[in-house]
Amino acid sequence: MTQHKYSYYVEEAALEVTDRPRKFLEAFAAVLEYGNYGIALDAYARLSAKCARCASSCQLYEATQNERDIPCHRSELLLRVYRRYFSRSGVMKARLFGGFELTDDYVELMAEEYYRCTACRRCKITCPLGIDHGLITHLARWLLAEVKVIPKALLVAVREQLDGVGNTSAIPIPALKDTCEFLEEELKEQTGVDIKFPFDVEGSNYVFFPAVSDFLLEADTLMGNAAVMHVTGGLWTIGTGNYDGINYGLFYSDRMMERIVNNLIGEVRRLNAKKILVGECGHATRSAWFVPTFGGRGAPPVVNCIQYAAQKLREGKLPLKRGKIIERVTYHDPCNIARAGRITEEPREILNAICEDFVEMTPNRTENYCCGGGGGTVSIDEIRKFRTGPMGKRKAEQIRTTGAEYVVAPCANCKKQLREVCEDNGLETVQVVGLHDLFLRVIDFGPSASVDANSRTADEGVEEAIQQTTEKEG
Amino acid sequence: METWLSWARGPFFWASLTFMFLGLARHVFVTVWEVVRATRRAGDKRIPHRKIAAVTLAWLLPFGKIKSRLAFGLTSLVFHIAIILVPLFLAGHVALWQRNTGLSWPAIPHLLADVLTVTAVLTAVCLVLQRAIAKDTRRLSRFQDYFLPLFIAVPFASGFLVMHPAWNPFPYEPTLLAHVISGNVLMILLPLTKLSHCVLLPGTQLVSELAWHWPPDAGSRVGIALGKEGEPV
Repeated sequence: MTQHKYSYYVEEAALEVTDRPRKFLEAFAAVLEYGNYGIALDAYARLSAKCARCASSCQLYEATQNERDIPCHRSELLLRVYRRYFSRSGVMKARLFGGFELTDDYVELMAEEYYRCTACRRCKITCPLGIDHGLITHLARWLLAEVKVIPKALLVAVREQLDGVGNTSAIPIPALKDTCEFLEEELKEQTGVDIKFPFDVEGSNYVFFPAVSDFLLEADTLMGNAAVMHVTGGLWTIGTGNYDGINYGLFYSDRMMERIVNNLIGEVRRLNAKKILVGECGHATRSAWFVPTFGGRGAPPVVNCIQYAAQKLREGKLPLKRGKIIERVTYHDPCNIARAGRITEEPREILNAICEDFVEMTPNRTENYCCGGGGGTVSIDEIRKFRTGPMGKRKAEQIRTTGAEYVVAPCANCKKQLREVCEDNGLETVQVVGLHDLFLRVIDFGPSASVDANSRTADEGVEEAIQQTTEKEG
Repeated sequence: METWLSWARGPFFWASLTFMFLGLARHVFVTVWEVVRATRRAGDKRIPHRKIAAVTLAWLLPFGKIKSRLAFGLTSLVFHIAIILVPLFLAGHVALWQRNTGLSWPAIPHLLADVLTVTAVLTAVCLVLQRAIAKDTRRLSRFQDYFLPLFIAVPFASGFLVMHPAWNPFPYEPTLLAHVISGNVLMILLPLTKLSHCVLLPGTQLVSELAWHWPPDAGSRVGIALGKEGEPV
């Protein structure tokens, strides 16, 4: 049963919750007690200068010019609650003069507003005071989730992942294996080479966690992943205990996120493997970067498949055909891997190596515009008009300006959103693909590519290089 | 008037100065305490300090950051430069410090001080006007966002008139009193309002980063506290 009380569907249980303001505040108190959000809220509540620089960086406000879409205005909704109930001066002021009280209507208002933000965090880079509005959206959604306000699309996916089949797309193991067999046959047909999707190989260097929806929707990306691992001799495996990198906990609940990340770690340990290899998915990668948070010492290192491929390319271990891709290609930086500057150059190294005509969108890298479907909103089909309209308009303009035939988006969510953006904004001829989809077209599977599949030295090179990058960031 | 002046320059000044120092020191102490606590609780203690320092520095010296909103950014930048330099390096202020405490430091030339003082007043008024005229800032603004820049302009305007009696339409002593009292009140307001960013700004980027570095079991513990442990999704 679903209800359409908000812009998005929620389960009926969400409408049966009583005494929501009290429960919201109880959750808020617990989060402040056990989490690290308090330090930021305290600073933001004190310092917010309302300079509106964030407004000029938000693609939604650019499109709507509506006050509600100014990041600072949205963040103030939660900061107001924080000031009133959790700051000494706010509590004292309320006792002396009364004033703001959290009501059911106010909870409703937050429920609507915090799902108009994709938490892309572009506004953070323009805030002189360093206020992270994406953090506020993230936290507000968690608190709303504790009073059961969760978009149904996200909730059912997480339920399936944690209490159901074990992954967000509810793909059972036999279906997964069938799909992979089919992909192996396809690869054989396309390349003439036997490329495998290995299952449950104990002691592997990498356990592969793509967005599980790739098994249903992104065959070329997965074939590209398998091809890269094949030619580079990467010892990898898909674990049948957990083969889903998706983590919608990042979009609505740290409680869920913790469980999902711990399941990734558990699968790597079950297989006595070394590292987590995340597929082409922005939020899956960013969630996996929380592995050290939950895994403690000895937590498996996390490698994104683009980092892996770029490193192999640099080492000359990824042989490419002579002919490059001739169509014009542009690249969309997924916010979750690019905003903090963690993965911006590797995809460009690859694209420059494999494309004749690679053009940049402007702005790009850390200043990129969100695809418009970030923060889990892409999964909410009922808000498609919003996503591809005001939220996606800026991105559509960017793509149109490049004149590209291919938009490379190494993220399952961005791909779905950008396809819809293109469809709804007169860009039907543009193809949205993954980075590994293009890779598959240019990898040279000739004799020079044969590598000892059990060689571990090649993989260790990647780990070292990524470790060095992490240390540099630190 | 004499009595009022000696009170404003004496006990009220020292009380305001002490309040400002203690208030701002408390902000710094609490922030440092919380940063240490958050870091100790964090599951992932690898904080990208170098990167945070670079961003912090970029905003402390935001010459390259103002282009996105050039008029507002430039006004704000000039305003900040003026209001930091004049109170600290005005020859008259330095002389007062030397007389009362024996401490001394180089002062800026009188002409520069005059230019900066007038600039501070003009940019304060411009900031308020820009805030009122631009649609997005007008929508966000609270009373304090208009009041504080204008109030900051008061000690600068009155100070300029004190230094240039020929241009001052008001009697000298009341002008001086207004200057000292508004300066004192401003010191009291510093730790109580958003003006506390004068000491907190260097830490905000770090604070924002730390908020993402969660304790490893924060989610589970929140679940237990809310009685939701083991509850199905």
